[in-house]
Amino acid sequence: MKAMIIDDEPPARRELRRLLTGFPWVEIVGEAGNVDQAVEMVETLTPELLFLDIQMPGGSGFDVLTRLEDVPQVIFTTAHDEHAVRAFKVDALDYLLKPIETARLAEALGRVRSTQAARTPRPDAILEKIFVRDGDRCWFVPLREVRLLSSEGNYIRLSWGESHPLLGRALAALEQRLDPNRFFRANRRQIINLEFIESVDLGVNGRLHAQLRGGPEVEISRRQARLFKTKMSI
Amino acid sequence: MNESQSPIAQSKSQQLYWMYQIVGWGAFTLARIAGAITAFRIPWFKATLELGILGVTGLVLSHGLRAYIRRHHWNDLSIPQLTKRIIVAGLVLGTPLGILTQLTAVAALQDLGPLLREYAPGLDVHFSVPIQFAHQIVNWALLFMLWLAIYFTAIGLREYRSARLTQSELARALQLAELRLLKSQLNPHFLFNALNTVRSLIADNPARAQDAVTRLAKTLRYTLTSPQDELVTLSQELGIVADYLELESMRFEDRLRIELHVPDDAAGVQIPVMLLQTLVENAIKHGIAQLPSGGLLRVSATVQSEMLMLDVENPRPPAPARRSQEGVGLQNARDRLRLLFGERASLELDLSRPSVATARLRIPVNP
Repeated sequence: MKAMIIDDEPPARRELRRLLTGFPWVEIVGEAGNVDQAVEMVETLTPELLFLDIQMPGGSGFDVLTRLEDVPQVIFTTAHDEHAVRAFKVDALDYLLKPIETARLAEALGRVRSTQAARTPRPDAILEKIFVRDGDRCWFVPLREVRLLSSEGNYIRLSWGESHPLLGRALAALEQRLDPNRFFRANRRQIINLEFIESVDLGVNGRLHAQLRGGPEVEISRRQARLFKTKMSI
Repeated sequence: MNESQSPIAQSKSQQLYWMYQIVGWGAFTLARIAGAITAFRIPWFKATLELGILGVTGLVLSHGLRAYIRRHHWNDLSIPQLTKRIIVAGLVLGTPLGILTQLTAVAALQDLGPLLREYAPGLDVHFSVPIQFAHQIVNWALLFMLWLAIYFTAIGLREYRSARLTQSELARALQLAELRLLKSQLNPHFLFNALNTVRSLIADNPARAQDAVTRLAKTLRYTLTSPQDELVTLSQELGIVADYLELESMRFEDRLRIELHVPDDAAGVQIPVMLLQTLVENAIKHGIAQLPSGGLLRVSATVQSEMLMLDVENPRPPAPARRSQEGVGLQNARDRLRLLFGERASLELDLSRPSVATARLRIPVNP
């Protein structure tokens, strides 16, 4: 498994590297010491696992994750900010306290391995989950649970359960990475999740309107209507 | 009585007060009615009416007395002062009731004349009218004094209990404050990172690891054992700052560069213990550690016109992520300076330059 160490303190990186020699199946492909460097390296080296420090110059470990298009598995490493990680409601994230105990490292790596095995192999280009930060809260949002993506300037507003977090990306860029069997471009500003469609009505203006479960009614543009009908076999 | 009591406790003690008042006066009046009917053969309606009026008057007067006591804070008085007031209050309230009693049919209840005549017929006692009045007044006065004694016993007990509670709460608050101070001094982020560095050095460079442990021990000892109000010379403080900076250099390696400029005349000036240490820690935490390529930490001291000028300068990110620059550490440092030197010392954080932070400390050479 390809892994990367992101920590601003060289001795901390050396120490973790040394600890990882006990786990030969983990291959360290790179090290980064700040947020910018980390984002760049993750994007070129595409590791499957990150060891991520929280306090770093030029931002935090969370900033690294929000800036990544594709978030690999993450194990946070921290000397004192475990409360920050615990604030997460996501079990996909583990954290290790520095100095790191070998037994805890083995446990965390075991968990990573089992999640990895349980993952259904998918074509690489398709995104399954997305890391979102909204104020003090962060989530790993599984995209299949998102019913609607709306463009707001350079941002995307996700409609996910009761939450409507904002994502710092353009809709057109993200569209390339969405599962085409699941997501459909309804109009210039919105992409809908087909699994959430409750009913389809003909509006007074002669356009199709899709009512989403738990969400708003979305208008299908004239251009997309034909494609939509084929897709939904209406 | 006690203004700090919660509304619930207040309404509860109010209820208790009225219960005692009604039960006390009620039992007293009923006993007297029974005595009047059986021993003195006073018609029951007359006894009930007159003694009822007397009882209610007693209750009303004692309630008025309580209001007066509370308004004049009698429970703050010393025991002799309070005793005097209790006697006077008993007599003042006893007088109208005594006169009223003497004018009713139940006056005989408290008249000792018939009783004495019965048991000692030879004496042939007859009390004059003024003596009979005085007798009634003293009787009522004693009753009010008893009332006051019970009242103050109850108040005293309650205050003793609440004082005991407050004391234990106070002790707890004090402990918490000390703990917070200890925690703020210890800087857990530094401590755990330093331990991690040491662990890494054990394999890389055992001699350096040994050195790091010694320095860490010195830093901790200095932090944990220095009393807050102690003064040390600048050179003593610089000794510990050097140990601390050496440990941070091991963590940050080439990201941290240090420049110290302290002339001899400044080295002997007395400064509050841990003050320079706090400034240097802040410079690293909010400055160097936030910058990918780190920077130069400069400590420079000069003595000008009997004042020590100590500057700690560090590069900082252009827009600080959090406004924690004026944090607990700096506030604590200012408080200590004011306590030790009054208005003659000062500590300013200068953020006027976009990418530099300078902490300027001014301390009189001869305090």
